[in-house]
Amino acid sequence: MAKLPVEAPELVRVFGPTLHRVPAGGWSRTTEDEKLVKTHCCFCGQQCGIQLRVQDNKVVGFEPWEDFPFNRGKLCPKGVKRYMQAEHPDRLKHPIQRVEGAGFEAISWDFAMQRVVGEIQRIQSTYGKDAFAVLTGASLTNEKAYLMGKFARVALQTANIDYNGRLCMVSAGAASKKVFGMDRSANPWSDIPKAKVILAAGANIAECAPITTDYIWQARENGAKLIILDPRMTPIARNADLFIPVRPGGDIGVFNGMLHILIERGWIDRKFIEEHTTGFDQLAESVKKYTPEYSSKIAGVPAEMIVKAAELWGPAPTSFLMHARGIEHHTKGVDNCMAAINLVVATGRIGREGCGYAMITGQGNGQGGREQGQKCDQLPGSRDISNPEHRKYIAGVWGVEEASLPQKGLSAIPLVEAIHAGKIKGLVSICFNPVVSLPDANFVREALEKLEFFTCIDFFLSETARYADVVLAGSLMEEDEGTTTNVEGRVIRHRKAVTPPVEAREDWKIICEIAGRLGYADKFSYPSSKEIFEELRIASKGGVSDYYGMTWDRLDESNGLFWPCPEVGHPGTPRLYENGKFGHPDGRAHFMPVEWRPSDEMPDEEYPVILTTGRVVSQFLSGTQTRRIGALVDQTSQPFCEMHPRLADKYGIGDGDFVKVESRRGNVVVHAKVVKTIRPDTVFVPYHWPLDRSANNCTNRAIDPVSNIPEFKICAVRLSKADQPTDSIAMLEVQAGGVR
Amino acid sequence: MQKQIFPSTGSDSAHAMTWGLIAATSLVIGIFIGSRELRDFDPALVSYAGACVFSAFGLGYRYAMWLRRPPTRLYWYRGWHIFLDRKHFTQSVLHLGRIFWNNIFLQRFIERRSHKRWIAHWFLAWGCLLAGAVTFPLSFGWVRFETAIDNQQVYRAFMFGIPLGSFRLGTWIAELTFNILDVAAVMVLIGVFFALWRRGRDHGAMSVQQFSNDLTPLIMLFAICVTGLFLTVSTHLMHGLHYIFLSQLHAITVILTLLYLPFGKFFHIFQRPAQLGLDFYKRAGAVGPQAKCSRCGLEFGSALQINDLKAVQSELQIRFQMTDGSHYQDVCPQCRRKNLALAQDALWRSTDMSKRGLL
Amino acid sequence: MSEAAFFIDYSRCIGCEACVNACAECDTHRGTSMIHLETIERRESVQTAPQICMHCEDPICAQVCPADAIKKTPDGVVQSSLKPRCIGCSNCVLSCPFGVPKYMSGIDQMMKCDMCYDRSSVGKKPMCATVCPSGALTYTSMEEIQRTRQGIPVNSWKFGAEEVKTKVYVMVPREVTRVEIELVQIHTTPSALPNDPYDVALMLEGME
Repeated sequence: MAKLPVEAPELVRVFGPTLHRVPAGGWSRTTEDEKLVKTHCCFCGQQCGIQLRVQDNKVVGFEPWEDFPFNRGKLCPKGVKRYMQAEHPDRLKHPIQRVEGAGFEAISWDFAMQRVVGEIQRIQSTYGKDAFAVLTGASLTNEKAYLMGKFARVALQTANIDYNGRLCMVSAGAASKKVFGMDRSANPWSDIPKAKVILAAGANIAECAPITTDYIWQARENGAKLIILDPRMTPIARNADLFIPVRPGGDIGVFNGMLHILIERGWIDRKFIEEHTTGFDQLAESVKKYTPEYSSKIAGVPAEMIVKAAELWGPAPTSFLMHARGIEHHTKGVDNCMAAINLVVATGRIGREGCGYAMITGQGNGQGGREQGQKCDQLPGSRDISNPEHRKYIAGVWGVEEASLPQKGLSAIPLVEAIHAGKIKGLVSICFNPVVSLPDANFVREALEKLEFFTCIDFFLSETARYADVVLAGSLMEEDEGTTTNVEGRVIRHRKAVTPPVEAREDWKIICEIAGRLGYADKFSYPSSKEIFEELRIASKGGVSDYYGMTWDRLDESNGLFWPCPEVGHPGTPRLYENGKFGHPDGRAHFMPVEWRPSDEMPDEEYPVILTTGRVVSQFLSGTQTRRIGALVDQTSQPFCEMHPRLADKYGIGDGDFVKVESRRGNVVVHAKVVKTIRPDTVFVPYHWPLDRSANNCTNRAIDPVSNIPEFKICAVRLSKADQPTDSIAMLEVQAGGVR
Repeated sequence: MQKQIFPSTGSDSAHAMTWGLIAATSLVIGIFIGSRELRDFDPALVSYAGACVFSAFGLGYRYAMWLRRPPTRLYWYRGWHIFLDRKHFTQSVLHLGRIFWNNIFLQRFIERRSHKRWIAHWFLAWGCLLAGAVTFPLSFGWVRFETAIDNQQVYRAFMFGIPLGSFRLGTWIAELTFNILDVAAVMVLIGVFFALWRRGRDHGAMSVQQFSNDLTPLIMLFAICVTGLFLTVSTHLMHGLHYIFLSQLHAITVILTLLYLPFGKFFHIFQRPAQLGLDFYKRAGAVGPQAKCSRCGLEFGSALQINDLKAVQSELQIRFQMTDGSHYQDVCPQCRRKNLALAQDALWRSTDMSKRGLL
Repeated sequence: MSEAAFFIDYSRCIGCEACVNACAECDTHRGTSMIHLETIERRESVQTAPQICMHCEDPICAQVCPADAIKKTPDGVVQSSLKPRCIGCSNCVLSCPFGVPKYMSGIDQMMKCDMCYDRSSVGKKPMCATVCPSGALTYTSMEEIQRTRQGIPVNSWKFGAEEVKTKVYVMVPREVTRVEIELVQIHTTPSALPNDPYDVALMLEGME
């Protein structure tokens, strides 16, 4: 019965999002801190080091952690205000259950557990094991990510577990695996300033990975040239030596076009290709037709730009390529990434100081979250769930029959589609707000309403949790111990600063109790999350993402260790592929020829404009946390539609006017922001907001055939000037989906 | 150089010295006349009076020096000019009453800075002013009490020799009169307590406060109050034990404070009324024409103030005239900030571009 | 190592407002941000720039203050106005060539960046320069800045005929010894640059 118990405005009134503005203890500081807890920001994959100031079991402020090597005290506004999510008035402090027509009521843990376990058993015995699904998140610690995978496979024995990293890193990961044989950024960030040319594709670094900015600027100080591919001139692009305002979905034109010129002009490393790669001939053949003119048509930029890019990239002694969601959120996301990586391998500039490749992780534990077994096709240690050897090993670690392990299940989008189609009847979700973050939001809402039973573990009542029958009050990052793996592949420690308030519990304890009541207490009896990590070490041993050599003590002493770290004495592996040794069994990198193809939905007469979506610096993902922090909401209080003056003039839209952005699936009414810094054929709407302010009302849920990532970055829309909406949703506070 | 709006001539120190002497002499004359040619003057208080005379010199000197500053002089004259304007004089007097009540009596602007600070300051300020209102006239011989000739139980009060009234011992008026300084002392102590409490705990205050400027005055006031209260204790509870020593100790604390008055933090008591004058200036500016930024075209201040500032700047040798004939003072603060960034960014960009052969 | 100094490089700024948020964490004015973050002209470009107090050697704000309320510490930091003295006239706000002081009408007082005096006076970095992810705001030693940057730090400015020296340095190309301010009118670019350099449509001209 997963429908809203009452209208959204009533739920907003009780559960927020409301804005938290004044820290616990007030602004003026009159006592010394009881303790400063060295931990990390939870708002993106860079995982910046930060120290939380604690008094009376309350987080009251922060202090920069300048000794942590990755960010050296630097933080973005989300990091600065991160501490304001603690002591929040919206915080869920008890389990609650849905009451039709009234909202939610507090219930006891015992009752909540009975209900959840009873519904799991009912649904699984009625419709089969796979009819109960698990959706998880990539902002969970490694311990929790590992536990969720084990929970689904051992306690629920459902094949259908997937995670919101499906919206994030899967294209990059799949491409990296195909070319390099491993899924991780190849270099530590310290290699960036040593590169003489940097190519950043589809990465709004200034807003989505702000700490990386200083690394890039430092490279420029050292004489590096900077090439940026983006349909919008981002703050980084303004200072680039070459800004290529590529058409959304046209990236392959630039990459293949560049490679065409590199080969033509001899700017490739024949010796490296010969010794360390396979498939170059097919690759060379495939880019033959990508002349600058041909490429230019695909990329939607002048041919000279592509030539210039090749001229900057080709002869450089060292180089660094990085990409993010801009090229990955496509039905050809994997192909886009592979086309980019081909440029790295063809020049042989990988696995050396100042030579490398990175995918910029988006979510808090985007890297670790995809390694330890909560993907539908994966087991811990980045093992393959369809590989009999891998299955056997993990079954052994878990003490279960190999045959009892489910096979590959549905990935996030097909999983939601299966719910919509009535094939999946029950859902447990943690760390995921699909109502805001998945494409085609109207479809997602419909799907949730069809569930027979839906339970959520969350610390706030997110827009998705509003649909739940039972919400279990979980824990914030600062309320539990654990590890994450940052953008570089560095495994780091999150430390507990305070205990969960009132009756809220650590997430892993909630999961373990459900598993225990389902009859698997012996497999889920961990005295603390440290023991989960100890088991994870063994489970990952011998896998690609091998954490076996890491212990919490070692992580504490070393400011983190890079995987693979196969033995306890092993120093970790900051830089992969040194000496041309790649992750495939043959030790070689595999070139992947890539052919451009159109996006799933191209603009046409009816819907003539391209919509692309993305983030702003002050908000994180679906905004469950950051739309509750006053200072961050003030910074960008509502979504907007960026459009070029030429496009705006065509529709008679002025800066600040309301504009309706409408696709075949839905619409969003927001303020127009008329700027010259975007392609005239493209508009941009950030996606952090819910309900009628959700850019994902418009986006397309078509997915990449390999990675299953949805095509957030391009769909067809039409624009029209609109009046200020005055319905009950529009009248909500801006952080709840209102407009002003 | 632009003409001074309110010119000042002569050397600053000679000018200030003159005003110091005028202030001190005026006080001496005031004491002489007010005490009916010293007939009412209490010789026991002569050291207090002497310190006051010195203090008057210091205050006169400092105030005159302060008013020699071009911006201060300008506001001084502008404030009086606007206040005394006949057309609005009645309104001005009413407004003065209103802002005096809010700013000087209630000190609302301090309340908005911090409640603790406000409580501390209000008690300190009104404790001190109350004490001053009693002790200065007494030590100058302007006020005098004597027992009625016909009745030992009745006290008569005189000001400048003119009878003000009389009261009987044992009435509440009598108690209040004789203990008014104790009341003031308790008020000041409350203020000192709050001030020290805040200054000893608030990390922000602790980092910017200076011992000499922020803590010394509190210590002085504390010493005055405590020694003063000891006098009362000695009289009423200890049969006058150590009274002479205590009164000398008290006198030392008071005299030191009086000598400190013109030079330290306490000088702000005499500066503060400028806020009232400024209020008239701001009101006059607000109703007059507004200055528009020469870059963004938005209003950013009163034309009165911008023009006055230009004059003050030129007096101070601040030369904001641009080479193209425009004046930097006509650019609003926000546009200045934007312009700075544009200028610096352009330096980089033109260097970059010329390196790349684009310029 | 020389003692640490403050260096600004406006051109590095990415407008993230980490500085604005961190500034409000400084104990001398916690809850109120003192730093300015300007979006130069959003329609034209994404350029942004922070502005902290430059801590002039001979602060114009102090010179034009009628109340004598603006003081410099012995280490050269120009403080917020002294609370007992400031009468809230805004002369400093209007005269500062860098546009720094803020008039807080509620408390009728000028406040400004004090280089996080609670931190910098005890050897810590100011909040904004600690967190700034772009290095637009940097607090480090002179040796370190010279070692790591292409440009050089200068602290000499000219506004019209007025020369100003500041405690805070600005990063400029090596051939520059002083930043001379010319007024760049709105909707134009500095005279050294081509017009409309950030219009994406112009970059795409020639495409269908």
